[in-house]
Amino acid sequence: MAALYIMIPVAMVIVGLAIWLFFWAVNSGQFDDLDSPAHSILFDDTEPFADKGNRDNESRPADD
Amino acid sequence: MSSPQPCYHCSLPVPPGSRFHTAVLGSQRNFCCPGCQAVAEAIVDNGLESYYQHRSESSTNPDALPGLIPDELKLYDRPDVQDPFVQSDGELSDTRLLIEGITCAACGWLIERHLARLPGVSSADLNLSNHRLHVRWDASRLPLSELMQSLRKIGYAAHPWQADKVTEQLAHANRRALRKLGVAGLLWMQVMMASMATWPEFNIDLSPGMDGLLRWVSLILTTPIIFYCSTEFFQGAIRDIRTRHLTMDVSVSLAIAGAYVAGIWSTFTGQGELYFDASGMFAFFLLSGRYLERRARERTAAATAQLVNLLPASCLRLDAKGNSERILLRELQLADHVLVPPGHLIPADGRILEGRSSVDESLLTGEYLPLPRSPGDHVTAGTLNVEGPLTLQVDALGDDTRLSAIVRLLDRAQSLKPRLAVIADRVAQWFLISVLLIATAVGLAWLSIDSSRAFWVVLSLLVATCPCALSLATPTALTAATGSLHKLGLLLTSGHVLESFKHIDTVIFDKTGTLTEGRLTLKDIRPFPGQDADRALAIASALENRSEHPIARAFGHSPLVASQVTNTAGMGLEGMVDGQQLRIGRPDFVAALSHGSVPQPPTAQGQWLLLGNEQGPLAWFALDDQLRSDAPDLLAACRKRGWSTLLLSGDSSPMVQEVAATLGINDARGGLTPADKLAVLQELHDKGHRVLMLGDGVNDVPVLAAADISIAMGSATDLAKTSADAILLSNRLGSLVDALDVARKTRRIIIENLAWATLYNGLVIPFAAIGWVTPGWAAIGMSISSLLVVLNAMRLTRLPRPQA
Repeated sequence: MAALYIMIPVAMVIVGLAIWLFFWAVNSGQFDDLDSPAHSILFDDTEPFADKGNRDNESRPADD
Repeated sequence: MSSPQPCYHCSLPVPPGSRFHTAVLGSQRNFCCPGCQAVAEAIVDNGLESYYQHRSESSTNPDALPGLIPDELKLYDRPDVQDPFVQSDGELSDTRLLIEGITCAACGWLIERHLARLPGVSSADLNLSNHRLHVRWDASRLPLSELMQSLRKIGYAAHPWQADKVTEQLAHANRRALRKLGVAGLLWMQVMMASMATWPEFNIDLSPGMDGLLRWVSLILTTPIIFYCSTEFFQGAIRDIRTRHLTMDVSVSLAIAGAYVAGIWSTFTGQGELYFDASGMFAFFLLSGRYLERRARERTAAATAQLVNLLPASCLRLDAKGNSERILLRELQLADHVLVPPGHLIPADGRILEGRSSVDESLLTGEYLPLPRSPGDHVTAGTLNVEGPLTLQVDALGDDTRLSAIVRLLDRAQSLKPRLAVIADRVAQWFLISVLLIATAVGLAWLSIDSSRAFWVVLSLLVATCPCALSLATPTALTAATGSLHKLGLLLTSGHVLESFKHIDTVIFDKTGTLTEGRLTLKDIRPFPGQDADRALAIASALENRSEHPIARAFGHSPLVASQVTNTAGMGLEGMVDGQQLRIGRPDFVAALSHGSVPQPPTAQGQWLLLGNEQGPLAWFALDDQLRSDAPDLLAACRKRGWSTLLLSGDSSPMVQEVAATLGINDARGGLTPADKLAVLQELHDKGHRVLMLGDGVNDVPVLAAADISIAMGSATDLAKTSADAILLSNRLGSLVDALDVARKTRRIIIENLAWATLYNGLVIPFAAIGWVTPGWAAIGMSISSLLVVLNAMRLTRLPRPQA
């Protein structure tokens, strides 16, 4: 039982982290478009020259 | 005419003997027109031909996109023009474009890939639900105009897009709702764990210290649920009490706040039951219901709030010496002289100084044929100049134009829209009154029996009768139905449409573009003796291919090529095909070529065009704005429901009566202005009728906004779409017949849900009143009843396939 005195505060910290993560995800527009990502994963496999051209888009800009 | 082969790109029929083909995916493909061929070639040249493997819908015909004006694109490179919609941070510029021509998910792939290959583009993300493209690129290496032009090459039109206030607020509200939902969900799970441990049902041998800790943990975790997530319920309740109106919000607030306050007391004293998890559950379930509803509504609002095409972005201004310069529309001043080339939209209200042409006013007035206009005549902003160049003097701009007057009429019309009662609100009202009365009675009774338990019994009664399932009844059903209707091709922008179909008793139709196709089609060819119909059609098409007139579109593409084609406005076309001098158009104009007598059209109905050469007439062509093939079915469905039908059209031709007679419409009136139409609607409302309006043009907009339920065609103007409750995306009137069935079923499910929820709440009252309901039982009952309601609503997603 004594372990609970530690585990409960730990659980609350984890919930806090989860909420922070969720807020970050919502604010950065992760939930704004629920259609395109579902489709886009289907297309990538047959890309003939995947690394041709200049692609420096590692950082997707925040969407707000 | 032989059976046509579909174009590989856009699926329109390929004319026989077409010369447009290119190799895609290893085999030779045929195209209907040079536009499709060029787009396909551009896609192949970019190594993106697997687009054709991925796509699930045929692509948009490039001719269907708004005309491309290279000068206009150049305007977008000016910094002052870019200012409102391009942000620049150092090297990279950042903008959002609205893309036209997207048909399926593969289009998104194609656009993103194509742009990523362009030099200077750093990232391109297309949002498929609202067709907005977010690009970051290096403006010094690639001007915006070239970026837009390169999109055009692969068959999409791009328009600059600026977030307006409403859209921004919506996006903000959406995110706020999602955050509240997430917080409520995450915290509720924790609260449930902590508070359930204190329930006697689980029989955990808790030490008093641990019991106290768990109560405190629950209290701390519930507090954000109350003060962050549930604020909208409390605000709603306060507002409703002020307006002396008992709604669901009042009931929900009582339960949530009651459970919370009792929980605080029990935490401090260490006695009594813990209802914190109930607060969390209510907040989470109710917020999910609201979020679902918002999401279903939002999708449609985002897709339709795109008022881009009513007026052109730029126009050609003439200076004193007669030189033209392309300027933005907002730079145009009163009394300026403007040149409008054929095929372009007229930018402002004005008077014609020079030139003869015909003007297509169909969207504004419902007239289905372009009207001839000559110097001295007035023309209206937003209408299409069809035949010849016109020079105008600007009389009215912006808010003073006739177009804006219609938009203002819209504002007035919206205030006229009757608010239909929502079933759930009515149920909630008497439900709440009875619960409050019962709770008071039970409380008084317990005070005299055992006053120490009275508070807890009343609390358990309030919690157990919280209309959680009742509040979920409508949103879940509407969300499920909105999804299925979307598959049928009907997009709802206001969910309560479904509930109110039952009250409708009158339907108003618009004619042009709604019951009819809204474009001229070739109905009949009558060759003169000794002439061949196919040959005559090929020649006529070759001539008409050189014209921008809506009549020309009826002829399709031709394998022959016409040269030296000249256009005599209001009369017809003249040109050379295979070395023959030919004319097509009005009979007197054509007969003049052969100096023969003017022949009489075969029948008086419809529009007849004559084709002739120097020897004499060759063939008659009948053109007509055809009825949609499924219009009779829709009318039959309306009659079956006993609705009276009414046709209101801006068209003053006898076509109106003809259409009404063919379809068996009760009453038809032609030649109406938007204000007239609105007056007819008001008259109907005054007589107590409930009206459904189906329309498409700008002239229908006020009526669409004021009708009890309004449906706009998918091909309608943006303004019509935004003022309607639903949009018939597929343009198939048959979908509407199916939708009526879904609407009926939805209403039935809403009523079933409400009945079940009320029954559950009613049954639980006696048990709560005698003090048997503990927090554990309340939670179980609540979840099961909510789940049942949701599952019942899910039945709406299983729909019979629409009849093909």
